[in-house]
Amino acid sequence: MKSVKGYQCKECGRVFYPERKICLGCGGRQFKKIALGKEGVLLTFTKLHALPMDFESRTLMLGIVEFAHGLRALGQLSTDDVEMGMKMRARWDVVRELDGVQLYGLRFYPAKR
Amino acid sequence: MRDVAIVGCGMTKFGRREEDLLELLSEASLAAMKDAEMDQGSVDAIYVANMGAGILNHQTGVASALVDRLSLLPAPADTVENGPASGASAIKNAFLAIASGLYDLVLVAGGEKMRAVTGWEVTDFVASMTHRQGEYIYGVTLPALAGMFARLHMAKYGVKPEHLAMVALKNHENGVRNPYAHIQQAVTMEGILHRPEAVVNNPYIAEPLRMFDCCPVSDGAAAVVLCAAERAKDFPHTVVRMAGFGQATDTHAVHQREDPLDLKAVRGAAQAAFKMAGLKPKDIHVAELHDAFTILEIVESEQAGFFGVGEGHLALEKGVTRLDGKLPINPSGGLKARGHPVGATGVAQVVELVWQLRGQAEGRQVPDAANGFCCNFGGFGNNVLAFVLSRE
Repeated sequence: MKSVKGYQCKECGRVFYPERKICLGCGGRQFKKIALGKEGVLLTFTKLHALPMDFESRTLMLGIVEFAHGLRALGQLSTDDVEMGMKMRARWDVVRELDGVQLYGLRFYPAKR
Repeated sequence: MRDVAIVGCGMTKFGRREEDLLELLSEASLAAMKDAEMDQGSVDAIYVANMGAGILNHQTGVASALVDRLSLLPAPADTVENGPASGASAIKNAFLAIASGLYDLVLVAGGEKMRAVTGWEVTDFVASMTHRQGEYIYGVTLPALAGMFARLHMAKYGVKPEHLAMVALKNHENGVRNPYAHIQQAVTMEGILHRPEAVVNNPYIAEPLRMFDCCPVSDGAAAVVLCAAERAKDFPHTVVRMAGFGQATDTHAVHQREDPLDLKAVRGAAQAAFKMAGLKPKDIHVAELHDAFTILEIVESEQAGFFGVGEGHLALEKGVTRLDGKLPINPSGGLKARGHPVGATGVAQVVELVWQLRGQAEGRQVPDAANGFCCNFGGFGNNVLAFVLSRE
């Protein structure tokens, strides 16, 4: 399983996800990949009932999780039994199939179950 | 820099339309040219706002098609795409071109034909402007981003589902008075929120947002004629000047913002527009805000400076933003009721303000409105434009 990475500016240390070409903080152009950390906190979420094409399920859980360094990432949630502030664990998984290609991204699972 | 005025405006009825995109753009353009009582020979250039005819209608090069259909040849013609803020971006281009002295008279038309495809496809089309790796691949839609934003904002400021519904109630009530509105039907709090059948009448789209928190998917077009202010008195109507313009961008992925609740680009665009106009939010008599979602009207009313942050819903509660309130917001019905053909919306906002400032907004006129403000919100607040319009 591929792990999840943030992009840390080598100049000022600010971390981004997804990647940027130029640091939003200091203008630096060199980044190093760092691990996101195992657990994050669910900042907000939605249960989507009107899905775009190519999704077969009737609803889709989406959320934003905040990791160490204040780094945040959006991803799919594994369950609708969630609340704000809950601890979540990230996995790298197939999140969508588009034009016949499987796309990988983040899926968040409740940390303790 | 020269002053710029709006001397003509027109629009089609928004909604589900039989006509194709070019027919809608033509109808709005001809209405604006008729309003200005001008002939086609005097048009120096045209700008056409359209977000997605290439995807929705198998049509690209929309401005080239329109300039030909209207026989405005050989006038320069450009299509402008800036997502749901394409309309304001096209007006901005015309404004800059006239202000610079390059052109004297410019036609701007914005339009979209969205009902040509299924709901699934149109949802995906709009979602395609989100961040590719960070948002889109997960199935994120604009309602999904608005739902996550609303959940955070509601938790922080004590905003209730009833507050969101108040935006819908107000804007639908205004829409009934606007013959161009997509939806001309008033709704009640009981009907969309409290009665048992509300779960059927008003289902969730992206929790906590329900159907009546989201704008409809519409076809339609709107057009304006802009000209150098020094020539504006040659036209038949009360002169309305483009007193201020502002635009700002923010991070593409919403979660990358230092504070995901802070719509910096709305604030930046509004502040720049007020500065250019030499006016303050308290000088505004009528506003058209980008209520693609009810929560957005509340938050934009704060970020534009009309109310304190976290106080927009309180102003709503007191009726301040109603048609008979101190600062009427979205007398047209807004995106919520007038509808949201994405390329047309920014132009339609300016059309409504011009009608209000001229005193022509029959049935929904804000008494003696002299200064108006509008905000056209692109992406989920990553590219926002604002205008201040003033009656001479």
